[in-house]
Amino acid sequence: MELLVAEHVEKNYSGYRALDDISIAASEGRILGLLGPNGAGKTTLIRIINLITAPDQGQVFFAGEPLKTKHIAQIGYLPEERGLYKKMKVGEQAMYLARLKGLSKTDAERRLRQWFERFEIMGWWNKKVEELSKGMQQKVQFIVTVLHEPRLLIFDEPFSGFDPINANLLKEEILRLKEKGATVIFSTHNMASVEEICDDIVLINKSHAVLSGEVGEIKQRYRKNIYDVRCRNLAPETAFGNGIQVISQQTKGDIDYLQFRIDNTLSPNDLLRSLVDRADVMSFQEVLPSMNEIFIETVTENNMAQATERKGGTQ
Amino acid sequence: MNKILLVIQREYLTRVRKKSFWILTLIVPILIVTIYAIPIYLATNSLEETHVGVVDETGLYTDFCSNDNVIYHYMNSFDTALVGRSDTVDVMLYIPRPLSGTVPTETFVYYSKDAPSPSVKSDMDKQCQDMLRNNILLDVYHIDRNDYEQLKNTSVKMHVQDLNTGQSDFSEMKMIIGLVLSILIYMAIFMFGSQVMRGVMEEKTNRIVEVLVSSLKPFQLMMGKVVGVALVGLTQFTLWIVLSGVILTGFTMANADTFDRARQQEQVEMLKSQGVSVEQLAQQMPDTDMQTEMVQGLLHINFGAIIVAFLIFFVLGYLLYSTLFAAVGSITETDTDNSQFTLPLSLPLLLVIIMIPSLAEAPNGSLAMWLSMIPFTSPVAMMLRVPYGVPIWELALSIAILMATILLSVWVAAKIYRTGILLYGKKITYKELWKWLKFKG
Repeated sequence: MELLVAEHVEKNYSGYRALDDISIAASEGRILGLLGPNGAGKTTLIRIINLITAPDQGQVFFAGEPLKTKHIAQIGYLPEERGLYKKMKVGEQAMYLARLKGLSKTDAERRLRQWFERFEIMGWWNKKVEELSKGMQQKVQFIVTVLHEPRLLIFDEPFSGFDPINANLLKEEILRLKEKGATVIFSTHNMASVEEICDDIVLINKSHAVLSGEVGEIKQRYRKNIYDVRCRNLAPETAFGNGIQVISQQTKGDIDYLQFRIDNTLSPNDLLRSLVDRADVMSFQEVLPSMNEIFIETVTENNMAQATERKGGTQ
Repeated sequence: MNKILLVIQREYLTRVRKKSFWILTLIVPILIVTIYAIPIYLATNSLEETHVGVVDETGLYTDFCSNDNVIYHYMNSFDTALVGRSDTVDVMLYIPRPLSGTVPTETFVYYSKDAPSPSVKSDMDKQCQDMLRNNILLDVYHIDRNDYEQLKNTSVKMHVQDLNTGQSDFSEMKMIIGLVLSILIYMAIFMFGSQVMRGVMEEKTNRIVEVLVSSLKPFQLMMGKVVGVALVGLTQFTLWIVLSGVILTGFTMANADTFDRARQQEQVEMLKSQGVSVEQLAQQMPDTDMQTEMVQGLLHINFGAIIVAFLIFFVLGYLLYSTLFAAVGSITETDTDNSQFTLPLSLPLLLVIIMIPSLAEAPNGSLAMWLSMIPFTSPVAMMLRVPYGVPIWELALSIAILMATILLSVWVAAKIYRTGILLYGKKITYKELWKWLKFKG
């Protein structure tokens, strides 16, 4: 079941098109990674989902209904550019932001105390925000984002500004929220965190959605038939037969490390069979492209395709 | 609606809790009371004593009279060594025999420690002049000294009276009050208007606005701030009025005799307007001086009406300007950026302040009338006129025009604000703003 669906969304700013016919769907209880280079339109899309701006074309649905102001209370948004009132006390400020999300005074206070105790930051309650470090402020912002237990959470570059320990804490909290049934939209450039966290992704480039799907499935789609092999007693100058190509070879001690690419017509078993005859295989593993490689490849290809298209158009 | 209340509450509480708010709250009443008290203080309290030694070689200056502040001592010989010592005189007044001619008109004043104060100098000067004239009159023209005294003390006092109300007009007092009010409202509008602007800029540069607009509409955020700061302003004024009132009441009681004299004078003028004869008046008329007249003027002004008008025009003028200031705050990130927008905004009010002298000359003239109708100038111009009395229909029209303009300014500001607060690192031009205004939705 899809919690949030955006269909054919288009948004124009004076002079340029920020989003062009973009459709995304965030499935309930899953984490959707919203990827794309700077200026691709991610923040615009997120702002539309948060009803901060309205799309020129297209529609957004929340739990099957057209997205309206009443749904705002069920969305938690941690923007990339985030801040707090510097002169305000932490507790007071958290209370203010929680109540703006529609929580009652008693609810807000009870939940805030729970979270502050979880993060062991109860001592900050009466401190002014300017006394906290940036990472500490981010923790407070995270709490305020999730406090009202929204069904949909939107994190825009959540890890920026966190040290590794706190980034890990944050990651675990996000996964815990997912366990509890929250749907998450996660916008980032950090591909490593995408592989760790996301179930699905949408890749936006130059106002278009250029790639979308389940992370594992996409990796399979982009597989290059490359395999890593570790073996012993490999005969020197060995030939592996048609369609099998050695990309790299290294020997450390008595162990050989090889990387193969095989033709589409061949199966991994064909490679393995030809290996077994020639060496003692210790490990055999398919190499799937990292999200980082897929990201760079897709964006570069897309940019080139657009460039040729434009060239073609002018001729 | 509930969210707007939360915003108002935050804006109000964070400002009212600041130390600077309370300092300002205390300073202004003290200032008002000081201004009020100075003339009375000067009239009732004597200054330090100054001892003046007189060395008169002409024999014409024989009648120096000591008073509370200046004490004259005749000395036999001219000896400057005596000046400035604690057991002798502070100042020596030396009147030498004239070198040529018959009339000794030159005097010399010597001091060693502190220069004689202006009041001491003027006392010496006045007494010398009097004696010189008296003696010349006696010697040369043979005029009786008493006749001369009477002549000299006769002056003309003008009583300007309104035929409808039977009241004196006290136009000087009204002018002063109008001046103070118009400058006060000008400062208040800009002070609180720029607080709104600063608040918006703070939210923008802090990036907290991103968090906020996902919870509530930009319009709610803007209006919450505008209203919150307005309440801060009204709280401040209320405190000013109450505090000044308390202090002034205490002050009036402590200086009861001065105010009594003013009231007595008031009664006499009431009698006069009821046709009491001049002879009767002459008996009742107490000595009037400048200062009693001022106090009398103060008693005469309808402060209640002025305060109500001030609060109305403050709130309206503030709403007009603060919404526009909010828009400016939303499209700028630094103080240097925003001057290109705030300058044209502040010009109309500044213009009125500059024109105050000519407006005070004719508070009900056509220039004053027009300026108190144009919404961008009316709060200041109207406050200048209010102490003189403005017809109700003019007040109502001015308020109506102002309110209509506020609706327009809120609409314009909301459009600019909504786009501006989420735009970073871009310099906004007037052309761009125009585009935003035309942009629908």
